[in-house]
Amino acid sequence: MASKKIQRLAIANRGEVAVRIIRACEELGIESVLLHSEADMGTRAYRLASKKICIGPAATADSYLNIAANIQGALAGNADAVHPGFGFLSENAEFAEACEKAGLIFVGPPVKATRILGDKVRCKELAKKLELPLVPGYDGENQTLDFLVKEAEKIGFPVIVKAAAGGGGRGMKVLRSSAEAKELIESAQREAVSAFGSPKVFLEKYLDRAKHIEFQIFGDSSGRVIHLMDRECSVQRRHQKIIEEATSPSLSSELRRKMGEAAILIASQAGYKGAGTVEFLLQDEKFFLLEVNTRLQVEHPVTEMVMGVDLVKAQILTAQGDPVFSEQQTIAARGHAVECRIYAENPYLGGIPSTGILGKVIWPEGPGRRFEYGFEEGDEITPFYDPMIAKVIVWDENRIRCIQKMKKVLRDSVIFGVETNIPYLLEILSHPEFVQGKMTTRFIENHFSEALELPALSEAEKNFAEQALKTFRPASTAIGNSGELVNSPWQQSWRGV
Amino acid sequence: MNTAQLLKGQLWIHFEGRSFKYENPNQKKFGKQKSSAGKTGEIKALMPGKITKLLKKMGDQVEAGEVVMAMEAMKMEYTLKADVAGVIEQLDCKTGDQVSLGKTLFKVKVSHVS
Repeated sequence: MASKKIQRLAIANRGEVAVRIIRACEELGIESVLLHSEADMGTRAYRLASKKICIGPAATADSYLNIAANIQGALAGNADAVHPGFGFLSENAEFAEACEKAGLIFVGPPVKATRILGDKVRCKELAKKLELPLVPGYDGENQTLDFLVKEAEKIGFPVIVKAAAGGGGRGMKVLRSSAEAKELIESAQREAVSAFGSPKVFLEKYLDRAKHIEFQIFGDSSGRVIHLMDRECSVQRRHQKIIEEATSPSLSSELRRKMGEAAILIASQAGYKGAGTVEFLLQDEKFFLLEVNTRLQVEHPVTEMVMGVDLVKAQILTAQGDPVFSEQQTIAARGHAVECRIYAENPYLGGIPSTGILGKVIWPEGPGRRFEYGFEEGDEITPFYDPMIAKVIVWDENRIRCIQKMKKVLRDSVIFGVETNIPYLLEILSHPEFVQGKMTTRFIENHFSEALELPALSEAEKNFAEQALKTFRPASTAIGNSGELVNSPWQQSWRGV
Repeated sequence: MNTAQLLKGQLWIHFEGRSFKYENPNQKKFGKQKSSAGKTGEIKALMPGKITKLLKKMGDQVEAGEVVMAMEAMKMEYTLKADVAGVIEQLDCKTGDQVSLGKTLFKVKVSHVS
């Protein structure tokens, strides 16, 4: 890795993570260059970046997934480094290589490490060599449908099919019988192409009462690899994480030590540098290595909160060859942190995406509360990208207080203009299995139907709404005189319309 | 904080910890999807997105629950299934089409057991 100070950092991403990187740049005195699509000019990152370069149209294949466009954009913006964020090209070794060829520092692991760990199949090979426990499955080159169906039968249902180049739930399906295997594998391949540019998939035995535990690893510029404790992300819906926390409530200190050692072993064997995550499944006190994500993770803030570190700044500093983290910082976690992902989706219609222009947005600030968001009032949530529009992270002294705080914060958060999963999150946070920390990756599937029941409006809610309606739509009654309602709570936003 | 905002003719309310869209009860049922009432054979787009695959064509026989097409929105793929058994009598899209919310994608004419 280069040892020259980064002056201008290009951000090959969008939304809240682009904002997160811009903030780190600002604090380090680095200029930010946002590489954005045509559809993302009305976003918070666009307004905050020191420089912005449009790299293509809305479709991800033509912009955020286009390697050449990103490189050209970074060069046009006079950047000397590129941060890929997460998703998109963040785990793409060719992109990292193209950056290097163009003389740009790639803020991420060395190409070689990404090639080994980022390819889920090669990662498993290394894990096997290191005798780390793996979930049984098929990860070969034969990708024909009939063959994959036969392999699935051999492994024994349920089987999970996953995109080899993927993550984040895309291109992932659970096969429960031979009858549905073909259609679901095909669907996974299509999703894999669309999200990661490669149709390659692999199969794994689906562990049906496992917990998802992951370790935040970090390789510093000297080559030392450490871990910054663990996170639990068992609350998943359609294999997408919804609620994450640090540290896991499910690990004994012995198990934590063993898993942490396994995480460090595989990362250091691959010559890892920068931030990465080693994911495990834990079932009946046995752990299995799932995959390694060679990038910053969506849920990195919970680690930052309990460890007192700044992972994004650490990534940038490591990329320019500076030392990070004192011994003291990595010894123990302090308190507990929970993150909820806010998705623009309709919880009453099975979580289908909700798009539109954001109205009023209120985040209830307070101690131990952190809001990571990419969109503000007036911004449009388009159908082109991931439905995650924000993350709410809270810290408190222990897990129970943390959950209580999160519930309060979500109840006080206001997002108008699109539907969100907040009602869904609140249900989860109140569920005894979650509160007791006993949830598995099938928690949602086992306890929640696809769509929440829409609760009837209370009299108080109706009254409030009717009063507001009259204010906005003065009908034949005299109540609609705006002058009378200057101090009413909705007057202010009404004026803004 | 309780607050309200009118956006494009739609009233949004946040009241005592809960956000909801409020519609005049005399107009239409709040928040309910019409299709949930009965199985009509007509499948509409529940979200804006792109049609990624058609598995059936006009005139094809389908079973209730059989996948007719796949669409993608926000990088996730959703399959659209026939809600009744019958024959596809209308198919209003092709692979690659960008469809808007509420667009009728296909209609199945109910066939009676022979």
